[in-house]
Amino acid sequence: MKKTLRIICYVLVVFICNLPLLATIATSLKTPAQISASPPLLFFKPTLANYAEVLTSPSLHFGTYLRNSFGLALLGTLFSILLALPAAYGMVRHGVGKKFLLPFVTNLRTFPLIIFAIPFYFMFQSVGLLDTVLGLAILSCLINLPLALVVLLSFFQDLPIELEEAAFVDGASTFQTMRMIILPLATTVLASVSVLSFIYAWNEFLFGLILTTKVATPVTVGATFFITSFGIRWGQTAAAITLSILPPMFIGVLSFRYLTKALLSGAIKG
Amino acid sequence: MKKSMGLFVALLLVAGLLWAGGQSEAGAEAGREKVTFLFWPGPESEAMQKVLDAYNADQGIKDNVEVEMLLFSRQGFYDKLLADMAAGSTEFDLNLVTTYSLGRYAPYLEPLDSYITSDPGKTFIPATLNSLALDGKQYGVPTDVSLHFNIYRKDLIDKLLTDASWKSSYTAIAQKYLGKKLSPKDPAQWDWDDYLATTLFFTKSINPESPTTFGTVLQLKNLIFNIMIWQSTMVSNGGNWMDEAGNITINTPEAKRGLEMYQMIIDNKATPPGSLNYEFPESNEAFKAGQVASMFQWNAAYSTLTNPDDSPSVYDKIGIAPLPAGSLGHRTHVHSLGIGMNAASLHKEAAGKFVDYLFSDKAMEIYGRAGGSPPASMVLASLADIRPEFPTVAEYLERYAYVVNGGTADYAVPVYEVMAEEFSSVWSGDQSIDTALAHTEQRMKELIHK
Amino acid sequence: MTSSMTRYRKYLFIAPLALFLLITLGYPLVTNIIYSFSDVTFRTIRSPRLIGVQHYKEVLTSAAFWGSFWFSARFAIVATFFEVLLGLGLAIALAPLLERYKILLTFIMLPLMIAPVLMGIMYRLLLNEFVGPISQIMQMFGIYVSLLNPPWIVGTLVTIEILQWTPFAFLIIFSGLQSISGDVIEAARIDGASEWGVFWYITIPALLPNISIAAFVRFVDSFRVFDHIYVLTGGGPGRMTTSLSIFIYKSFFQQEQIGTAVAAAMVLLIVFLIPLIFSMRQITRK
Repeated sequence: MKKTLRIICYVLVVFICNLPLLATIATSLKTPAQISASPPLLFFKPTLANYAEVLTSPSLHFGTYLRNSFGLALLGTLFSILLALPAAYGMVRHGVGKKFLLPFVTNLRTFPLIIFAIPFYFMFQSVGLLDTVLGLAILSCLINLPLALVVLLSFFQDLPIELEEAAFVDGASTFQTMRMIILPLATTVLASVSVLSFIYAWNEFLFGLILTTKVATPVTVGATFFITSFGIRWGQTAAAITLSILPPMFIGVLSFRYLTKALLSGAIKG
Repeated sequence: MKKSMGLFVALLLVAGLLWAGGQSEAGAEAGREKVTFLFWPGPESEAMQKVLDAYNADQGIKDNVEVEMLLFSRQGFYDKLLADMAAGSTEFDLNLVTTYSLGRYAPYLEPLDSYITSDPGKTFIPATLNSLALDGKQYGVPTDVSLHFNIYRKDLIDKLLTDASWKSSYTAIAQKYLGKKLSPKDPAQWDWDDYLATTLFFTKSINPESPTTFGTVLQLKNLIFNIMIWQSTMVSNGGNWMDEAGNITINTPEAKRGLEMYQMIIDNKATPPGSLNYEFPESNEAFKAGQVASMFQWNAAYSTLTNPDDSPSVYDKIGIAPLPAGSLGHRTHVHSLGIGMNAASLHKEAAGKFVDYLFSDKAMEIYGRAGGSPPASMVLASLADIRPEFPTVAEYLERYAYVVNGGTADYAVPVYEVMAEEFSSVWSGDQSIDTALAHTEQRMKELIHK
Repeated sequence: MTSSMTRYRKYLFIAPLALFLLITLGYPLVTNIIYSFSDVTFRTIRSPRLIGVQHYKEVLTSAAFWGSFWFSARFAIVATFFEVLLGLGLAIALAPLLERYKILLTFIMLPLMIAPVLMGIMYRLLLNEFVGPISQIMQMFGIYVSLLNPPWIVGTLVTIEILQWTPFAFLIIFSGLQSISGDVIEAARIDGASEWGVFWYITIPALLPNISIAAFVRFVDSFRVFDHIYVLTGGGPGRMTTSLSIFIYKSFFQQEQIGTAVAAAMVLLIVFLIPLIFSMRQITRK
């Protein structure tokens, strides 16, 4: 009984939160005439023309955009975790950086990063990072650092120190402890942080707009190419949006499957 | 498991870095100098691509130049362009310019006069050339002209002009709301009172017999383009941003009347409630849905509204007329979209050759045929068969078009922004007309007389 | 443990992070601080002219600035409140189901995966009173309101935010729920605690750090809201929906008042410092 209630609750929540997405997918399958129908059509004959247009349009390089977004999100996530993991560990276990570094990084997130657009432009221009996936990855890393740091910090605080101490007593180095004890326990947290960081990086628009011209254009910018002076091509925009959620979804599924595996194998005892 | 995770991570890192660093583009065909042409996506760029293709296949070979298009998203286009130009970007040699932003970008543009070998006035309508000129220098080739039509439902107006009971209702409504005894007229002869009367007539909440729910659809979003539409209410009655001496004349009876007319439509629910957030696409949707009798709209809408695939319910019922006449007659705002040259370009000579090509009837004909709206007299006259609105565009350009005083200056966009903000606040009921005009005057003073 | 570490080795942990920040943020921060004290436009962007604290005075006395500040504040408070509340409720209600079938998490996460700017564009269609499916659904329930108009527009914008980001709060809290030791709960039950007791005295306190993180991140992010509002309303009508980020963006790019825009951001930084320090204590409290 409780289980059925839960399932109903789940379905309801998923449906309501995803209503805009469902409407978008429906729009992507309609012809322009169907989209302009008033009142809107609930049942209609679907067409894949919009998807064809998005994927094969000569002036658009949608495949490139997807690749670019994927690259910058993946790299950005990787960088932020590589930087935040040891930092969080150091902050909790050794008390370093708590007074200044932590508040500084966290305050980054309160900052409207818009005003950094121009300085970053000049910086990237002088080191040749303009219009590169690497450049955008660095920015994504910056954007995601606060979250990664705070979540990992909290994780380390909750982690009983006894396990590490036992490992040290056995003669393990810090690095080995990290690899063999901490990382396996951190998989849940890392999966969550990775997914969220990936998503935040994936959704970035402003820097993607200002700091790229044609080579590293991310999909968020590419999907707006259907806004024209003659009107918004709704069907194609909707198709572009639908296509653009597939990679994050893929990453999400991957991460959460990993989660299951990790929890089943080797949990904390006692 | 740990091993494979580490490996996986390392692989990703390597793959990512390799890919991030190693992206390059194909060079130009052996020998030809490459010129990059910046545009925004849409029918204009699709049409322009045909011009590029024609040039590259023919004149370009003689000039030893190859032109390639670069597209920036229209969303945030100007902001990005400003950032790029201020930073002296050399990624593009030719770029999109517009009348209202000309003053703002002029410091980064190269005047085109020295690159043109023909007489531009022979190809282009002089007023449009002026719309992309500043201080006597030509900064752009006008490739698309934008002005306003009064687009209306021909079928409904025809009925209004002939049906006796409709005519008497119309007169009654005009008497009640405007205090004048008016009879229906052809839209080409409307003055502002006729417009208001017709709009009220076709509003269901006022006239239950109206076939449409709303008389018109106004574009009231906080957006500079909507101010360009609105300002004809003021200019057609003699108003302007400033007078010849540079005094700001926005806080005047003409402007006030313009705002009052819009207010009357809003207060009487003669425009859809969502209008407060409408601009080009949304107003078209309202019209296509058959819910609106007339609207002031950019000429770019004509082709989609008359296309049976896009507008199945109204495509064959479209009529066009100039905006209603004020004391000075009919007036329409006009601005041009065009191509300018990046002052930081490293290929100016080569780009200049393409610019010269653009200043020809031949190039503009290809452009017009492919979907653009070039203000080239020959093109507008000869393509009437595939673009029925072209002769009308030519006529309005000649007789009614205006650019407001200061409309090309570097403060033009900020002033439009101020008006958009202040006036949309009036339209949403948040501010009175008098306060708004006073604020606007004040802020314009700060922007113009810095 | 510290005894086996030399005094400086422990700084190795934070060195990469600190170095990265220095390299990437050093120049931008300094540049911006200079801009906030200078007269600078895009034309003079490489050579600003120092003029002192004028911009700060302008900002602090600007009705537009404070208007957008309070808009952002109210927006963030309401959105965060509901997101955390709903996220908490959902985490607890759905935890047993999701622990078994992790893959179901993906569908809850879906709203997060659409870029706000793109969703904002789609909403222009979806909420259109003539052709929008969402308006149509509401009309089916007899609700005939124009969602993009005052007085509904602000509520609409907040709802869009809540719909998109509740899954985030949910995920953060759900992760926390996972790490609560089952033994403690068992022991409490054996001792005779009720479901409610377990919930109130064990679960919630254990979740407090996660709830704080979710609330903090969501508040800060909602405060900085820009994408979907800018695309949907442009900050209008008037300045009704101008968030602080929109105010700064417009001042920066459209009015070209770069100094003022940056000064506004700096003011924001300072204003946030106090609650930040407070919430940092909450999160790192142990």
